[in-house]
Amino acid sequence: MAENRLNKGWEPKIVAFCCNWCTYAGADLAGISRIQYPPSVRIVRVPCTGRINPFYIVKALQEGADGVLVSGCHPGECHYLTGNLSAKRKFAMLKNFLSYIGIEPDRTVFTWVSASEGERFARVVQGVTDAVKVLGPMDKLAKRI
Amino acid sequence: MESIEKKLREEAKRLLAEKKVDVIVGYEKGTLPLCSTPCFISNSEDTDRLVWDFFCRQNLAKYVHDLLFQHKESQRNVKPEEKTKKVIGVVARGCTSRSLIIHLQERQYHRDDVVIIGVPCTGYVAQEKIADRAGGEEIREGRVEGDKVVVKTVSGVKDIPLRDVIADNCLTCRFNNPVISDIMTATDAQPMSPDQEYVQVDEFGKRPLEERWAYFTGEMSRCIRCYACRNVCPSCYCKVCFVEQSQPRWVGIGIDETDTQVFQIMRMFHMAGRCVDCGACVEVCPMGVDLRRFLKKLDKDGFELFNHRVGAVLDEPPPLATFRDTDKDEFIFEPE
Ligand code: SF4
Ligand code: SF4
Ligand code: SF4
Repeated sequence: MAENRLNKGWEPKIVAFCCNWCTYAGADLAGISRIQYPPSVRIVRVPCTGRINPFYIVKALQEGADGVLVSGCHPGECHYLTGNLSAKRKFAMLKNFLSYIGIEPDRTVFTWVSASEGERFARVVQGVTDAVKVLGPMDKLAKRI
Repeated sequence: MESIEKKLREEAKRLLAEKKVDVIVGYEKGTLPLCSTPCFISNSEDTDRLVWDFFCRQNLAKYVHDLLFQHKESQRNVKPEEKTKKVIGVVARGCTSRSLIIHLQERQYHRDDVVIIGVPCTGYVAQEKIADRAGGEEIREGRVEGDKVVVKTVSGVKDIPLRDVIADNCLTCRFNNPVISDIMTATDAQPMSPDQEYVQVDEFGKRPLEERWAYFTGEMSRCIRCYACRNVCPSCYCKVCFVEQSQPRWVGIGIDETDTQVFQIMRMFHMAGRCVDCGACVEVCPMGVDLRRFLKKLDKDGFELFNHRVGAVLDEPPPLATFRDTDKDEFIFEPE
């Protein structure tokens, strides 16, 4: 893994769990509006952030993601009213827990992006990519076969 | 403790004789010295087997869930008019009562399916600590006398101060008296001293990231995935555990170290807002994995972020099943 870090060609792989009703549409908008953002994200569309089992996040890290982004509707705008608010509690605990055991907090990122915020989506992806680039490839927890 | 034991046996006898319960889940003397073991008593003649001492380690709420669950399964194909009810009597100290509350909050059974016989608790003796103090020698006999444990090994008789061998979770226990009970066997015990509860968590959290990761992986590398920690935990009751699920297979079954790490991360994370720090998982772990160091972090965050004390109030929802508008959101990422 260390040589990867020196490898100029290395680009982080970021798995983004996006809520169908807002961030996914936001990403779509970014595309339609031709807003440039790093090609580092692999989007997984979920019905709601409340649907995300924290296991998905841990699993993504184990399966080779360098970072995980979770993005849903802004508080108060959830299609299912409060899915994002209960998800928020889980994520707060998960992020703390992962960093407590020694996984860099910048590798797990949570945010809100609405359907009309294509430009915000691009900035989020840029921000996460930059932060993960500083950390280098994920070598903790990553399965090596 | 003798008087608690006496009262416990009397109450158990009465409950069984009056058919208020079908079975009493309690502790009886184990086959090894300094061990008490869970027992199931359904005949009022047998209640003298019940003990209450410093060697009652396991959290009996586990068995309440198991028995009620098995009963429910057995009733599945029974005609409605022939369905029966089963009531479990359980000997419950503080942490056991909190585990029962969690089951009730999670709607696993009804409050009237259990009769809680409360015992005030002064902690239990940790197996690992006593083995250490006995110099790793086989303990032939042992008993508690006042504030010391007297153990007999090949090399002679040793006196060990009781306080030195009480389990870590008990030393800082905040709820050593049952939180709910139907019958109390004695008045409340002296409180333990919970001020030091999070000292270890705070200290660990301040260490450098890489050191924490090294400690975590070091501990997990000892785990042989016997799943005893899961099997003994009252909060681990899923019919099909994620580690055994094959579609999808969440955790590989090979020897890859990351599978063990992922198993532990997820099992522990399932304890968020649900671990009562009974220490049962630590007691049963054959490899002495320091699980509590990590579990306690979730407990601390649950309290600090959501002001929730696990299993403390029956009609409070579990913290991850609810939210407040005032929940903190500094961790939410804001792009430049
Ligand atoms: S954790 Fe508390 S209630 Fe449980 S055995 Fe220890 S002292 Fe007793
Ligand atoms: S009891 Fe110990 S060795 Fe067994 S699975 Fe749990 S942590 Fe691993
Ligand atoms: S995780 Fe361990 S300490 Fe927590 S409730 Fe389960 S058995 Fe008890």
